[in-house]
Amino acid sequence: MSASRRSLFPVAMTALVLLFLYIPILVLILYSFNDGRFSVRWDHASLKWYRRLLHERAIWHALRNSLLIAVTATLTSTVLGTTAALALHRYRSRLQKVHYGLVYAPLVVPDILAGMSLLLLFVACGVQLGMSTIYLAHVSFCVSYVTMVVLARLQDFDVSVIEAANDLGANTWQATRYVLLPLLLPGIVAGGLLAFTLSLDDFVITFFVSGPGSTTLPLYIYSMIRHGNPPLINALSTLLIAVTFLAVWGSQRLLAKQRKDG
Amino acid sequence: MKKTRWMHGLVCGLLALAAVGCGRKEKAVLHVYTWADYVKPELVQRFEQENNCQVVIDTFDSNEAMYAKIKAGATGYDLLFPSSYMVKLMNDQGMLQPLDHAQLPNLSHLDPDYLKVALDPKMEHSVPYMLTYTGIAYLESRVPNPEASWAMFDREDLKGRVTMLDDMRETIGAALKFLGYSLNTSDDKQLEEAKEVVLRWRKNLAKFENEQYKSGIASSEFLLVHGYSGDILQVQEENEDIVFVLPKEGFSISCDDMVIPKEAKQAALAHAFINFLHDPAVAAENSEFIYYLCPNKDCYELLPEEMREDPAVFPPAEIRAKGEVIADLGEVQAKYVKIWDQIKGGE
Repeated sequence: MSASRRSLFPVAMTALVLLFLYIPILVLILYSFNDGRFSVRWDHASLKWYRRLLHERAIWHALRNSLLIAVTATLTSTVLGTTAALALHRYRSRLQKVHYGLVYAPLVVPDILAGMSLLLLFVACGVQLGMSTIYLAHVSFCVSYVTMVVLARLQDFDVSVIEAANDLGANTWQATRYVLLPLLLPGIVAGGLLAFTLSLDDFVITFFVSGPGSTTLPLYIYSMIRHGNPPLINALSTLLIAVTFLAVWGSQRLLAKQRKDG
Repeated sequence: MKKTRWMHGLVCGLLALAAVGCGRKEKAVLHVYTWADYVKPELVQRFEQENNCQVVIDTFDSNEAMYAKIKAGATGYDLLFPSSYMVKLMNDQGMLQPLDHAQLPNLSHLDPDYLKVALDPKMEHSVPYMLTYTGIAYLESRVPNPEASWAMFDREDLKGRVTMLDDMRETIGAALKFLGYSLNTSDDKQLEEAKEVVLRWRKNLAKFENEQYKSGIASSEFLLVHGYSGDILQVQEENEDIVFVLPKEGFSISCDDMVIPKEAKQAALAHAFINFLHDPAVAAENSEFIYYLCPNKDCYELLPEEMREDPAVFPPAEIRAKGEVIADLGEVQAKYVKIWDQIKGGE
C-alpha cells in the first residue's frame, strides 16, 4: 500500500468519530425547529417550540435551580478538590492513603447507592431536603473528580520550581500564588469544568436528595417523557448550545486581543 | 486588600442565597409532587390568586421512584399524584391521610360509573384525577380489515411492524382479557394460557415498547401498537390516519389519583386544590389540555365536541363495562414477574 493510502485512514476515522459525536446534536437542533410534537416526521419549520418555551415557568425554574447548584457546587468542589490534591501529592503518610481511598470511593460507588445512602443520612439527621441537600450531594461527588484531575496535573509538576522560588526570596504564599497556582491552573479549570458538567447532568443522586421546590432540569426532563413536550427540550438545548458557543468564542476573542495588546 | 474584597463578596453572596431561601414567607406554599405537564399552568395560577398562596410543583418520572423516595422518609410534599395501584400500596403501608369530605364539596361531580370499578370507590384516601384506557391503535390506510379485538396481534401480515407495551401487567393483562379472564387473576392455569398467547404474539412484534410507539406510529414505522388512549389522542393531532379502538374482549383502565401524604403540612390547602381541580369547568379545561379524561361527570358536557364524540374517550356503555382497573396483587405479583421473565427471556 502506498503512503498516501495509509494516511487516509486516520482522516476517515476522525471524520467518522466527529460525525458520530455531532450528528445527534445537529439532529436535535434541526428538530427544535420542527412543528410536529412527535418530531420524527418533519412537518414544517416553525419557531413554535421557542415561543412556547418562553411561557414555560416550570422549565425556567428548573434551569435556574440546575445552574445555581452547578455553579456553587463547582466553586466549592474546585477549592476543596485542589487542596485535597495538594495534600495527597505532598504527604505520603498512612492517613493520606485512607484519604486517597475516601476521595476515590465516589468514583466507583454506583450512583443509586450514593443517592439512597445520602437520602437516608439526610433523613436521619432531620435535614429538610431541598436545594441545600442537592448542593451537598453534588459537592461530595464533584470533589473526587476535581481531585483526580488536579492530582494528574501534579504528577508532572516539577517541585524544584517552588524551591527555586523560595530560594529567590518568595514566601510560601507568594510561591503558591505566583508559581504553583498558575502552573496548576489548566488542571484546576479542567476539573472545574468536569464538575460543572457532572453536576448539571446528574439525575440519579439528585432525584433522591431533591426536596420540595428543588426540581432540577434533568429531573424535569425525565418526568416530561410521560406527558410533556419533548421538542421544548430540543429548543432549550439549542439555546444552551448557542450560549456555550458564544461564550467560548467570546473568551477566545478576548484572549487573542489580550495577547495582541500585551 | 484583595483578600478582604474577596471575603466581602463571598459573605454577600451567601447572605443573598440565604435571603432567597428564607424570603417570601408571608404566603402559604403548597408543594405538589406529580408528573410533568400534568396540570394546566394557567389553572395553577388561578388557584394561586384565588387562595392567596404559592404552588410549587415538583415532578417524578415513575411511581416506583416516587414511592422509594417517600418511603425512605422524604417529607415536605403536600399532594401526590400516583397511579391507583401505587395508591393502594401506599395506603396499606399507612403513608396516606384520610380525606375530609367536608372540605371537598366538588366530589359530588365525580363519575359514579368510574367509581364502581375504582380501587378506592368511597374516596376515603384518594380522589381520581385523570384516567386513560389501554387499547390498540393502527394506521387506517395500511391495515386492511381491522377489528376491535386483541386478535389483531395474531395477524401475520403485520409481522415486524407491531409493538406491545413493555409492561408486565398491561401485556399479560391483554392476553388474559383476550382469553376472557380477569386481568387481576391469580389462577395458575389461566396465567399459563395467557403466557402461551403472549409468546405467540411475540413472534409478530417488533418490540415491547412504552414510549417510542408514539413517534413510531406517527411516522408509520409501526402499523399496529398497544398503547394508552391519552397518548394516542395526542399523536392523532399529527397523523389523521391513526385509529384507536378498545378491544371488544375488554381492556385495562388506569387512573392517577390525588392523595395527601401523612406528613403533609398544608393539608387544608391540598384539600382546596383537589376540590378546585374537580370544579367541572376547571376539570374540562384541564382534560382538554392534557388529553386525558377527568372522571368528573359534570365536566363531560363542557368538553369540545371532538372529544365528546370520540369513542376512545367515551366508549359506548357495553364496551366501557368491560374495562377493568389493574390492582396491586401483593404476593401474587411474583407469578406475573415469573411469567414475564419467561416471555422476555425465552425464545
